[in-house]
Amino acid sequence: MMKEELFISGRNIPNVDPYLNIWHWQIPIYLYLGGLAAGIMFFAGYFTIMRKEKDMETTVKWAPFLVPGALVVGLFALFLDLKHQLYFWRLYTTIRLESPMSWGAWTLMLVTPLSFIWVASYMKELFPKWDWKFNILNKAEALAIKYRKSMAWAMMLLAVVLGVYTGILLSAFNARPLWNTSVLGILFLTSGLSTGLAASMWMSKSKYERKVLSRLDLIMIGIELFLIIHMLMGFLAASEVQIEAAHLFLGGEFTVVFWVFVIILGLVFPATLEVLELKGFHIPVWIPALLILIGGLVFRFVMVEAGQITRFLY
Amino acid sequence: MDTKIVKKQQPKYINPYFGGILLGLLLLAAFFIAGRGLSASGAVKLLVVTVVDKVAPAHAEGNAYYSKFIPADGSSPLYNWLIFGAIGTFFGGMLSGAIFGRLKKLRVEHSPKISARTRLIAAGAGGILFGIGSQFGRGCSSGAALSGTASLSFGGLIVMALMFGIGYVFAWFFRKLWI
Amino acid sequence: MGPLIPQEIITGQWDFVIALLIGGAFGFILEASGFSSSRNIAGVFYGYNFVVLRVFFTAMIVAMVGLLYFSYFGWIDLDLVFVLPTYLNSMLFGGFLMGLGFVIGGFCPGTSYTAVAIGKIDGIVFATGFLIGVFLFAEGFPFYEDFYTANDLGNITIGEMFGISNEWIAFLFVVVAIVAFYVTWLIEKRVRKNMTEYKFE
Repeated sequence: MMKEELFISGRNIPNVDPYLNIWHWQIPIYLYLGGLAAGIMFFAGYFTIMRKEKDMETTVKWAPFLVPGALVVGLFALFLDLKHQLYFWRLYTTIRLESPMSWGAWTLMLVTPLSFIWVASYMKELFPKWDWKFNILNKAEALAIKYRKSMAWAMMLLAVVLGVYTGILLSAFNARPLWNTSVLGILFLTSGLSTGLAASMWMSKSKYERKVLSRLDLIMIGIELFLIIHMLMGFLAASEVQIEAAHLFLGGEFTVVFWVFVIILGLVFPATLEVLELKGFHIPVWIPALLILIGGLVFRFVMVEAGQITRFLY
Repeated sequence: MDTKIVKKQQPKYINPYFGGILLGLLLLAAFFIAGRGLSASGAVKLLVVTVVDKVAPAHAEGNAYYSKFIPADGSSPLYNWLIFGAIGTFFGGMLSGAIFGRLKKLRVEHSPKISARTRLIAAGAGGILFGIGSQFGRGCSSGAALSGTASLSFGGLIVMALMFGIGYVFAWFFRKLWI
Repeated sequence: MGPLIPQEIITGQWDFVIALLIGGAFGFILEASGFSSSRNIAGVFYGYNFVVLRVFFTAMIVAMVGLLYFSYFGWIDLDLVFVLPTYLNSMLFGGFLMGLGFVIGGFCPGTSYTAVAIGKIDGIVFATGFLIGVFLFAEGFPFYEDFYTANDLGNITIGEMFGISNEWIAFLFVVVAIVAFYVTWLIEKRVRKNMTEYKFE
C-alpha cells in the first residue's frame, strides 16, 4: 500500500521554494534582445546628437534595422513565457511606478514604435527606390526627419531605461540572493551597450567607424568587468546566503560556464583582440564581435538560471 | 626594364628551442597543477561519444568503447578537462595567429607541386588514419608521445618511436606531397 | 606539494577554467613556433625544417628533467601523476597508423586546431578526418577489443621496463637530444642549400 505524505511546510512549494523554477529560456532571450536593442539605439541616438551621422553611418542608419526585429522577437519570447497570455494587454491599462514590470512594459511600448519610425525615416536615404505609396506616409516621414534630434534624445533616454530595466527586472526579486543586488541594473545596461556596439562594429564597413566603436566597446567591457567583480565582492561581503550565491561562480556548478564563456571568451579575449586591432595587428572583425554577442547571451542565461537556484535559509 | 627583386617576407616564428622550453615548462605546470599532461585527441573522442549518445543512446550504451566515457550521473561527457583544453588550444592558436599576422582568410596550404584538392584529400586521409591510430595508441603526439614520454611512460616512448619511425619509413613514398 | 587538483588543493570547477588557460598557452606556443603550417611540420621527415624535432625534444627533456627535479625537491608526488599505461600490441599498431597519418596529413590533432584557428582549410579537413577516424574506431571496437587491451603492462615507466633508474633515462634522453639537435642542424643546412623556401606560414 502506498504511503501518503502530507507536506505542511511552506518550504516546499513546487517550483517556488526552495528552488525557483519558473523562468526558462524565454526570459534570458528577452533580456538579451532588450539589452542589444538598447545598446544599438543608444549609440544611434548619441551619434545623431553629436552630429556624427556622416562618419558613423552604420551605427546611426543601418544597425537600427536590427532593433525592431530584436524587440519584436524578444517581446514574443516574453509573451510565450506568460501564464495568462490572453490578458497581457492589462499591463497597459495602468502605470505603476513601483513596479519594474510596469516600467518595462511602458518603455517598450514607447521604444518599439520609435525604433520603427527611426528606421522608416532612413528608408529613402538607404534604399533610393523606396516609395511609401501613400501621401500621408510621405508627410509622416518628413515630420520624422524634421524631428530627428528629438527622437534621438528620446531613444537615448529610453534605451538607458530599457537597459537598466532588464537588470532591475531580476533585482526586484529580493528573495533570490543572487539577484538581490542593485549592481544588476547597471551591469545589464553596460552589457547591452557592449553587445550593441559589437553588432554595429560587425556591420560597419568604415575603418574609422570601427575604430571609434571598438574604443567605446573596450570602455564598456572594462566597466562590465569592474561591475562583475564589484558584484561578486559585494556578495562575498554580505550575508551567508549571498556568500553561497557567489560561490556558485567561484568553484560551484556555474564556475566553468561563467568564467570560460562569459568572462574569458566573452569579455577578456575579445577585448584583447580589439586592443591588438587598435594597435595595428589585423584581426577579422567578426571574431571579437561574435564572441561578445555570444558571451552576452550566455551571461543572461547563467544569471537567470543561477539566480533561481539561490534561496534564503536552507 | 628593371627587375625588382622582392624579398619574400620570412614568416615570424619564435625560436624553436625557446618554444620548446616554453612548451616544456607548460607541460611541467600542467603536471604540477593537474597531474596530467596535455592532450588534444581526447576532446574529439569525447565529442564523438556525446554526439553518438545524443543520436543513438542505446547503441552508445551497448558499445564497450562509448560506454566507458559516458558519465553515470547523466552529465554530458563534454564536461571534461580535455574539452576545455581543446577549446583553449583553439583560441590560443588564434591569438598567436593574430599577433604574428597569420589570421587571414580561409586558405588551403599546399606545396606548389600539387593541387589544393590533392592536399585536401591527403589531409582527410591523414586525419582518418591519425584518428584511428590515436585511439589504439591511447593518445596523439601531444598526449601520448609528448606528455607520455615526459612522464617516463614506456607506452609513450613506443608511440613516439613508432610515429616518427614509420613517418620516416614512408616519407619517401609521399614525397610528392611535400617537396 | 603537487599535483594540485588530484589532491583537491584546487577544488570545484576551477580545474576546467585552468584547463582552458593551459590549453590557451599550449595553442599559442604551438602556433608561434610554426606548427600551424603542415609544410613546416612535414619538414621533419624531409630534412628541410626540423622545427618539430626541436620543439618536441626540448619540451620533452625540459618536462622530464623538471618532473624529476620537482620530485627530488618534494614539490610533486610522482605517484599521483598520470603515467600513460602501456598496451604493447595496441600501441605499436597505433603508432604505425599515426606515423602514416602524420606524413600524409602533415598534422596532428593539437596542431590542426591551431591551423583551423588561423583559417587553414586543410586543417579543418584534417580535424574532420580525425573525427571520422575516431568514430570508425569506436564503431568497430567490438572486433578488436581484445587486441586493444592485449599485453597490458600497466603504468610502467621506461626505467622500470629496462631496469635502469629513471634519472639515468632522463640523462640519456638529454644526451640523445643534444646529439639529435646537432645532427639535424647539419642535415638541415645541407638540404636547405637546394631549396628557396623552407619556412612556411
